[in-house]
Amino acid sequence: MGKDLLGYKGAKIVFFLVAVCTLAQSMAILLQAKWLAEAISALFAGSTLQEQGETIALFLLAFLARHGIFTVQQGIAQRFAEETGTSLRKQLLEELFRNGPSFVRSEGTGHVVTLVLEGIGKFRKYAELTIPRMMGAGITPALVWLYVFMTDRISGIILLVTMPILIVFLILVGLAARKQTEQQLDSYQMLSNHFVDSLRGLTTLKFLGQSRKHSGSIGQVSEGYRAATMRTLRVAFLSSFALDFFTMLSVASVAVNLGLRLINGSLELLPALLILILAPEYFLPVRMVGADFHATLDGKQAGEAMQFIVREARKERSEAQTGATFKIKDNIPASTGSKPRFQWEKSSVLELSGIGLQHAGAGPASLEDVSFRISGQGRIGIVGESGAGKSTLIELLGGFMTPTSGEMKLSGVKLGHSSRREWRSEVTYMPQQPYLFSASLEDNVRFYAPDASRAQVEAAVEAAGLAELVNSLPGGLAEMIGGGGRTLSGGQAQRVALARALLGGRQVLLLDEPTAHLDIETEYELKETMLSLFQDKWVFLATHRLHWMRDMDYIIVLHQGRVAETGTHDELMARRGVYHGLITSQMEGVQ
Amino acid sequence: MKQESWFRPYVTANFWRFLLIVVLGVLTILFAGMLMFTSGYLISKSALRPENILMVYVPTVGVRTFGIGRAVVHYVERLVGHDTILRILSQMRLRLYRILEPQALRLSSRYRTGDLLGVLSDDIEYLQDVYIRTVFPSIVALVLYAGIILAVGLFDPAFALLLALYVAVLILALPLISLLLTKRKNREMKQARNNLYQKLTDAVLGIHEWYVSGRQTEFLAGYEADEAEVDRTDRSLKRWSRLRGWIGQCIVAVTVVSMVYWSGRQYADGSMDVTLIAAFVLVVFPLMDAFLPVSEAVERIPQYGQSVARLKGIESADESDEKQAPLQLLNNEETEAVIRGGVHVKADGIMFSYDRAAAGSFALEPVGAGEAGHTLTEVSLDIPPRAKVAVIGRSGAGKSTLLQLIQGVLAPSSGSLTLGGVEAARFGDEISSVIAVLNQSPHLFDTTLANNIRLGRPEATEEEIRDAAAMARLEPLVASLPGGLDTRMQEAGQRFSGGERQRVALARILLQDTPIVILDEPTVGLDPITERELLSTIFSSLQNRTLIWVTHHLVGVEQMDEIIFMEHGRIAMRGTHDELMRHYPRYQQLYRLDSPEL
Repeated sequence: MGKDLLGYKGAKIVFFLVAVCTLAQSMAILLQAKWLAEAISALFAGSTLQEQGETIALFLLAFLARHGIFTVQQGIAQRFAEETGTSLRKQLLEELFRNGPSFVRSEGTGHVVTLVLEGIGKFRKYAELTIPRMMGAGITPALVWLYVFMTDRISGIILLVTMPILIVFLILVGLAARKQTEQQLDSYQMLSNHFVDSLRGLTTLKFLGQSRKHSGSIGQVSEGYRAATMRTLRVAFLSSFALDFFTMLSVASVAVNLGLRLINGSLELLPALLILILAPEYFLPVRMVGADFHATLDGKQAGEAMQFIVREARKERSEAQTGATFKIKDNIPASTGSKPRFQWEKSSVLELSGIGLQHAGAGPASLEDVSFRISGQGRIGIVGESGAGKSTLIELLGGFMTPTSGEMKLSGVKLGHSSRREWRSEVTYMPQQPYLFSASLEDNVRFYAPDASRAQVEAAVEAAGLAELVNSLPGGLAEMIGGGGRTLSGGQAQRVALARALLGGRQVLLLDEPTAHLDIETEYELKETMLSLFQDKWVFLATHRLHWMRDMDYIIVLHQGRVAETGTHDELMARRGVYHGLITSQMEGVQ
Repeated sequence: MKQESWFRPYVTANFWRFLLIVVLGVLTILFAGMLMFTSGYLISKSALRPENILMVYVPTVGVRTFGIGRAVVHYVERLVGHDTILRILSQMRLRLYRILEPQALRLSSRYRTGDLLGVLSDDIEYLQDVYIRTVFPSIVALVLYAGIILAVGLFDPAFALLLALYVAVLILALPLISLLLTKRKNREMKQARNNLYQKLTDAVLGIHEWYVSGRQTEFLAGYEADEAEVDRTDRSLKRWSRLRGWIGQCIVAVTVVSMVYWSGRQYADGSMDVTLIAAFVLVVFPLMDAFLPVSEAVERIPQYGQSVARLKGIESADESDEKQAPLQLLNNEETEAVIRGGVHVKADGIMFSYDRAAAGSFALEPVGAGEAGHTLTEVSLDIPPRAKVAVIGRSGAGKSTLLQLIQGVLAPSSGSLTLGGVEAARFGDEISSVIAVLNQSPHLFDTTLANNIRLGRPEATEEEIRDAAAMARLEPLVASLPGGLDTRMQEAGQRFSGGERQRVALARILLQDTPIVILDEPTVGLDPITERELLSTIFSSLQNRTLIWVTHHLVGVEQMDEIIFMEHGRIAMRGTHDELMRHYPRYQQLYRLDSPEL
């Protein structure tokens, strides 16, 4: 344990400093015991308190030094843990925000947030405790034992024999506890989740008329949970019991043994007292390791999980980067020599050839061999059944994902790793439920253009049809919205996103199912607003609400991850292919 | 109803267990102390080289007994402690559930349900720490304190007073100073941590937007600055706790030295046996271990306050609801009679508005949405048994309020809403045998598929459950699951699509077998094909019931006997599909969105 910490900045110095502190502490422990034993045995032999004043003062000094050094050592470890945790968090967040949405989706929002906030805390605890505990367990018992052994061989042997027994028992009990926990892990999880599950389903229970009766089941399950937990704890606590038991037994044996030899006259009081004082100190570091074992293990695992993410993300990026440099070289037109820019112009032509996307692991590809050519203006509809790959295509177009095969070109320039960032600054993306940040309405609108003036914000708000809402809010534009403020309806949220897009002034609009979840009246009005704002923009709109298609200049029809057909609404209707099938199935009423 | 504390009743109910834990806790420390005491005595006595080994027989046995005893007692203490805590936890859970249960339907409109419930259940988990980390150690320390001072006082009152002073620094002065110094900082820390949590969640949820905006570095810099601020506070708290630890050790050192002097002098005066010097000095170390952690235990107290305040908040919200005028509730037989008579839903020009004063008084944040629109004006309904009605309107048009009035969760401010001639509010909990609800996100519990369906009617036979599943056309899904109907939802996990979840909930409602079914936008988020398929299953399986269907689309409305358009709390249009198509161009435009080829 602890080897992984060596990789962090300043770790070696910290290891060294902690080692020095531990050594100094061990010396202080020995001296403190020595002087206390001397003072007591002198008093015992009839010496006066005045004569022993110096020894007692020395004891006091050693004792305070010991704890003072301990405090300093704690400070060093805490500082190191804090810095290490911060650096790990920085790396993690940077990768997170650089690699973007696909990563968060695969890990889950809740998991990511917990990992960053709680994981770092646990990891810090691990970083803080591990080095001092390791050093403590490695250095102090050895020194104490050596001193005891030199003072009295028999006591030294008793202590030496106890240690391995203690450790073996600790491991055995630990294994037994883990086995037992694993055996009942499933039922245990079910029991512990039951209460939250019940609360979340409370409305449903109420509708079903079962909510009152259910309180009985809560009581019952809680009891079951208690019984299961106690079964585990009975074994789990055995490990600290073993520690206690063997330590105490060993100290008691040493004491009794010392007593017997004192009676024989083969030993003096001073060494006996010294050993008695030192015996608990011999076991203390190991007991501390045992006490902190679970906390450090938790932190170690959290740290490993985060390091793994950072490593994977870096690996992925470095692979993408080598690919990108190759592509850019490939792209530089020999005649001009100027750096190609991935920038939209009216004359741009977007060309996808053989684009495919296969998610990690087995399973069918999300997109396969997608190829089309589109001139740089107008409104392009993307339709298909659920699972046909509409959203994936939109995300690929926005550069949020890297295709696993094929290439995307804008006016002959390939979209590589470095150009993807440039490209992203050209596009606006509007998902089905755009995210509203917990901030003022104004700041939400300003998101893509933080420097926009008040007048510009107002113009965008007006154009997006939000003026009425803004006027009805007590705070107007400064009203807080999002998670920490006023909840907006789905239609209002879409309008905020629309205002955001307008103010951003970006020319390329990517929309993923913007209206399907809205009530039909809101949908109708929003459609009117959106269509008027689509003028002069390059719009890609993926949806299964086919009414939009009448207003599209060009339609791409996806079927099972492939492009089935392309054309205008009328052309596609005339073909009587996949698109025609989609339209007619929507025309059928409900039986 | 006077509010019960979230603390005292559990102490009274578990008094004997608490006593046992404290006794065991005191014994643990005492045994550790006695081990050192008898050891010190034993070797001192032995050093005097008594004639007979039997002279040290008692301390020899004592040393071993105390050594083993301390390990055993400590083990038992921890087990009893955790057992008691888990008992309290289960009592607290039951209590929280009983508080929440009556307000279940109002809760969802009042708070962000998911968040709140998660927080409350965490609060209860957190309260169990009060006992293990604060109450028990503090009481054990106090008992030992009193015991030791009393015991020493019998020998030497003056020295007892000195000891009392030393230990008072450890268990009174230091904790108090600690509490004063850290209270504000701890509160700030907690607040700052919450902010960080919200900030990060906000950013991760909106990661798409950050990503597109190209402003990631800006966010990261801001976030790291906040983290650094928290770290600074944390650092100063830790610095204090290290310093406090060292001060504590200084007290221990002073106590040891005083003990050396006192026992030395006692011996010199001849009032104490020489063998007790070592014994008295050595006993100081283990005993002090009981007093050192008190500061940390006390420092935690303010942190529990927030959890208790939140729990109390939800409890008082419940009470404010109970102030409403008591209603003559129907019992089981009376409800049965109403159902047998055929449940005709009637409302004549009802009005409804929220009581502002009551809505503003909750300790917890209410949902900020525009409640202003949730008022109903002049709404009349006449829905005979087995009729099918669709309700359409924007969010905020008053649909949810209307549904809550029909379910009797709310009572109209004027006018009356009756089910089979009886005021809806009078059904109370019996309403679930009259009205079933299929909403946007029915909860599927973490148990088997069959048990989830059985919730509709717990006494249903296997046969009936299979029939209900078949009616909801769940068979293909069931056939694809490893354990069929007995597959646990957790194992099935994410594989359940939105449409499948709704079918499970539908099967549940089929079992529930009520005369009226409310469909509250069950197809939001489903693609058109799934939407149509689900609706056709719903309509065919619920043919013989009254349907009140709130919908966001017009797919399937042709099948309804009446379509009601709500706007600003009023009914703006109503009629059958054909009538609306004939008379309202606006309806035609809207209908075209769902039928693109018209």
